[in-house]
Amino acid sequence: MTNKSNNGFNTWQKSFEKETKKNFSDAKSETDEGIDIKPVYTKDDLENFSFVQNNSLPGQWPYTRGPKASMYTNRPWTIRQYAGFSTAEESNEFYKKNLESGQKGLSVAFDLPTHRGYDSDDDLVMGDVGKAGVAIDTVEDMKILFNNIPLDQMSVSMTMNGAVLPILASFIVAGEEQGVDRSLLSGTIQNDILKEFMVRNTYIYPPEPSMKIVADIIEFTSKEMPKFNSISISGYHMQEAGADNVLELAYTLADGMEYVRAAMSKGLDVDDFAPRLSFFFAIGTDFFMEIAKLRAARTLWAKIMKDFGAKNERSLILRTHCQTSGVSLTEKDPYNNIIRTSYEAMSAILGGTQSLHTNSFDEAIALPTDESARIARNTQLILQNETGVTKTVDPLAGSYFIENLTEELSKKAWDIIKEIEELGGMTKAVKAGIPKLKIEESATKKQAKVDSGSRVVVGVNKYKNPKEPSVDVRVIDNNRVRDDQIKKIQVIKESRDTKAVEKALTNLTNAAKDETNLLIPCIEAIKLRATVGEVSKALEQVYGRHFAKSLSVSGVYGKHFEGDKEFMKVENKIREFENVNGRRPRVLVVKMGQDGHDRGAKIVATSFADMGFDVDMGPLFQSPKDVAKDAIENDVHAIGVSTLAAGHKTLVPELMRGLKEIDPNSKIIVFVGGIIPEQDYEFLYKNNVSAIFGPGSNIIESAEKVIDLISDNLSKE
Amino acid sequence: MELVDKIIKGERASIAKAITLVESSKDADQQISRQLISELIKKPGESIRVGFSGPPGVGKSTFIESFGSYLVSQNYKLGILAIDPSSQITGGSILGDKTRMVEISKNPNTFIRSTPSRGSLGGISMGTREASIILDAAGYDFIFIETVGVGQSEIVASNLVDIFTLIVGPGSGDELQGIKKGITEYADIFIVNKNDGELKIEASKTAADYKSALSYYKKLDELEKQVLLVSAIEQTGMENVIKTINQIIDQNKLKGIFDERRADQLEYWIEEEVKNIIASDITKRLTSKGNIPKYSEKVMKNEMSMYEAVERITKDTLKQ
Ligand code: B12
Ligand SMILES: Nc1nc2c(ncn2[C@@H]2O[C@H](COP(=O)(O)OP(=O)(O)OP(=O)(O)O)[C@@H](O)[C@H]2O)c(=O)[nH]1
Ligand SMILES: [Mg+2]
Repeated sequence: MTNKSNNGFNTWQKSFEKETKKNFSDAKSETDEGIDIKPVYTKDDLENFSFVQNNSLPGQWPYTRGPKASMYTNRPWTIRQYAGFSTAEESNEFYKKNLESGQKGLSVAFDLPTHRGYDSDDDLVMGDVGKAGVAIDTVEDMKILFNNIPLDQMSVSMTMNGAVLPILASFIVAGEEQGVDRSLLSGTIQNDILKEFMVRNTYIYPPEPSMKIVADIIEFTSKEMPKFNSISISGYHMQEAGADNVLELAYTLADGMEYVRAAMSKGLDVDDFAPRLSFFFAIGTDFFMEIAKLRAARTLWAKIMKDFGAKNERSLILRTHCQTSGVSLTEKDPYNNIIRTSYEAMSAILGGTQSLHTNSFDEAIALPTDESARIARNTQLILQNETGVTKTVDPLAGSYFIENLTEELSKKAWDIIKEIEELGGMTKAVKAGIPKLKIEESATKKQAKVDSGSRVVVGVNKYKNPKEPSVDVRVIDNNRVRDDQIKKIQVIKESRDTKAVEKALTNLTNAAKDETNLLIPCIEAIKLRATVGEVSKALEQVYGRHFAKSLSVSGVYGKHFEGDKEFMKVENKIREFENVNGRRPRVLVVKMGQDGHDRGAKIVATSFADMGFDVDMGPLFQSPKDVAKDAIENDVHAIGVSTLAAGHKTLVPELMRGLKEIDPNSKIIVFVGGIIPEQDYEFLYKNNVSAIFGPGSNIIESAEKVIDLISDNLSKE
Repeated sequence: MELVDKIIKGERASIAKAITLVESSKDADQQISRQLISELIKKPGESIRVGFSGPPGVGKSTFIESFGSYLVSQNYKLGILAIDPSSQITGGSILGDKTRMVEISKNPNTFIRSTPSRGSLGGISMGTREASIILDAAGYDFIFIETVGVGQSEIVASNLVDIFTLIVGPGSGDELQGIKKGITEYADIFIVNKNDGELKIEASKTAADYKSALSYYKKLDELEKQVLLVSAIEQTGMENVIKTINQIIDQNKLKGIFDERRADQLEYWIEEEVKNIIASDITKRLTSKGNIPKYSEKVMKNEMSMYEAVERITKDTLKQ
């Protein structure tokens, strides 16, 4: 006899309907993933599973309950905080302090020029050096970064994808020069290029050669670096870019399948490398969903790897790092972020992660200060030491709800994975731009929910703090960092054997023309003190640099606001504007420098267009000069600069100069949106910025302000 | 006019503002714009205007980036008018063409303007012809006009340019039944794009299909229409395109076709303009008189036939 026909359930249902005055069948809430959450789950919900197996055990097929039998009861997860800023010297100090305070593993954040294969002395990266991560130009910097950190004992994770060859080579050489053989190095290199094309935007070469590089690294590490994870297949950035959990799960596993195929195409046996594949997921605010996601990921990966013919049990097991969600954190009332991060961390632990990064409460303001980083780290130390969560493995197993949700997520993700496979795999899908577009659509929907108030964000669209606290901010003087780096590069270039370096670079270029494993000639060049930029350029000669074409969603935002008064008010203002001025208000939305955060820019562009603006969308990585030319040729009324990687104090004044250079009488006004610490507002206003829109800005309100300012500006003529 | 001098000097901001004027829907702007164009026409430059049309996504913008890079590397000055098809019915547009013209947009010898088509007939926006006159006066050697090829648009677009190019993708040979006589008359060059990687075989096949279809429609006295294979992404086939363009221009100039065409086009635009003015005038009269509702009611009541009503309204409206 099932529960539903049983009297107990009927009585419950009656009481429920009486209490809520709703039919039970209507009392569902739909998640972003399109899953209907019921108000109650029962034993019946454990039936008809095709992925989840009831009664499975931790460390056993299908590994839903965790990669290991003992999990945290034996050893807690690794506290691994992602960090890096300014010079190698400063980051090294920061790392050492953190390790003394209880952090267990290192995770290096490189600056954007390094990510994109430019040296600090390159004109293209003037505003970006040392700003959003640590600048590494040569192996000497890498050695400083790990000064007094023994690389045979410390596991080091490196988020590097575009310039993965020179950076991994530098790491290997730095280890060797520290006296550590490469076979003893442990840690992870992200090396996940597909998600760069989708959402993270620090690619350098086109997809095909990039995939070859990924495979080269998997091959090399599987042979020479047995303790090193060759790749970290990352869904994290997808969720941060706006993907719901099903998209994150499906695309990540589909990426994984593509990498497995790439490695196998090099003649490797799947069991040669699969045990060293690792994963990386985001943990957002949907508490139970996130737990279910990690369980579903392990379940699906085991199945996928079995289908690839893996025989070694360790090939079947998905091990993952997690990071709490940065995008869930707000600039407004920032101490709330400590609470958000704590709950997210708890989800990650209940889901069974192997390591974790917890974000700092000043996430939406700047890179963390020493103090905010301490609180973030302590969030995990408290979880490990005070809450008792480490005492039981997978404590939520058997929960009707969690098991059902795990199954639902698996099913939905599997459907998408099958679709992608039918398309010919992720490389093809990514080249066609479909996953990126789906993620942007999902991001736009989320924004519409927050802007319309149907999703509450405490302190942002409800329960606002009337007295916003002021917080300390980490300030990085990028001009000083740049000068320091340039000096170091000069010294190295003067003391190295130039001829030998040139020869090594030529060898590398030649190697790129055939099937040689590129890491080997890279290590040679780096040993001789070739720079990261030089190595990248040597490869660029053969592969070229990739420019992403960008597609845009349209109508997604507007649809959410059909009949909405505020929305219609802006629409009417635009219509009026068109009648008066003979055309619609025209805004150029741009990203300048190496900042690849395009979520905000894309959302603003599509929403503004839905309200009736004509929106010119600039490509990524524009220089201020190019933006000025573009703006003037299209005679736009305004430029909207979206800037999140702290380049604004260099790039915005450059843009103003660029405009005046082409047209001394230019009347184009400039708005700035993104991550702008309070302290910088005055500077920007002094540089004639008309308005600033920080994180959490309501887009409809922003649009109204923009149209008003444009109209004011025109009426001054 | 001060603006005229500035345009002729090639001042970027003035060229841009002039294009805004000619695109403007405001009466006052239209007046100035007419004056402006009349002045500029007297000082023609020597631009060759080339149209690139084709279905959405065949790679028009990518091709222009690639071909354009080649031209600017040869020191040509290049003006580009991209008519962006992505307009919506209610909202504004997202103009994303420039994300595909990253390299040439940086070059000081280019001027790139995107315009939302607003769903106007043929994807050509109001003012495209005038904008090309402005760029011509400003001294651009080539003016490229990118339009999406749908329905009647080719006819309108081809009347804007000296050479009209249709860009197609591999495999589009299946649609050959669709390219009836019409298009072969309007297009001078057929470019099969995406001749790269896995698509190469398909692209060659498509080119062959086009060649045979075109020879079938060829008129006796006509030049053989060129079918060219390119890859915008790999930048191959570009020299061939410029060679072909130059050949056709030279030949057309020699035979007088070049000027003849421009004259025909002028006739076409005069006719269009007159039609437009008459049409809008008639529309105004029709609505002000309110004849249509009046007669329509009679038709409804079976007091007269529809044809009778049409005849009377027509007579009545044209009488004034
Ligand atoms: C999402 C995110 C990512 C995603 C980006 C995905 C994508 N495709 O955009 C991922 C995970 C890939 C990522 C990576 C990195 N990130 Co990040 N990221 C964020 C995060 C968490 C949220 C940004 C976001 O998208 N918010 C949602 C959108 C909708 O909001 P928004 O952009 O702010 O836009 C709103 C307003 O600002 C305004 N607005 C913005 N632009 C415009 C324009 C106009 C015209 C108008 C009217 C309004 C407007 O309206 C929008 C709607 O409200 C922020 C921290 C935070 N909470 O803000 C860090 C943050 C921006 N990242 C940071 C860093 C350092 C990085 C990395 C460089 C790390 C590294 N070293 O590897 C990388 C590299 C990325 C790159 N290529 O540039 C730092 C920057 C530090 C700084 N400024 O000092 C931040 C601040 C986090 C931190 N505190 O450390 N990141
Ligand atoms: N393989 C291949 N793909 C190409 C080539 N040229 C363009 N593409 C791809 O085709 C897609 C469309 O390119 P666009 O240049 O935007 O095409 P378009 O015709 O201008 O598109 P609309 O302006 O939207 O009508 C992009 O994904 C390009 O990368 C080419 O030569 N080879
Ligand atoms: Mg285009």
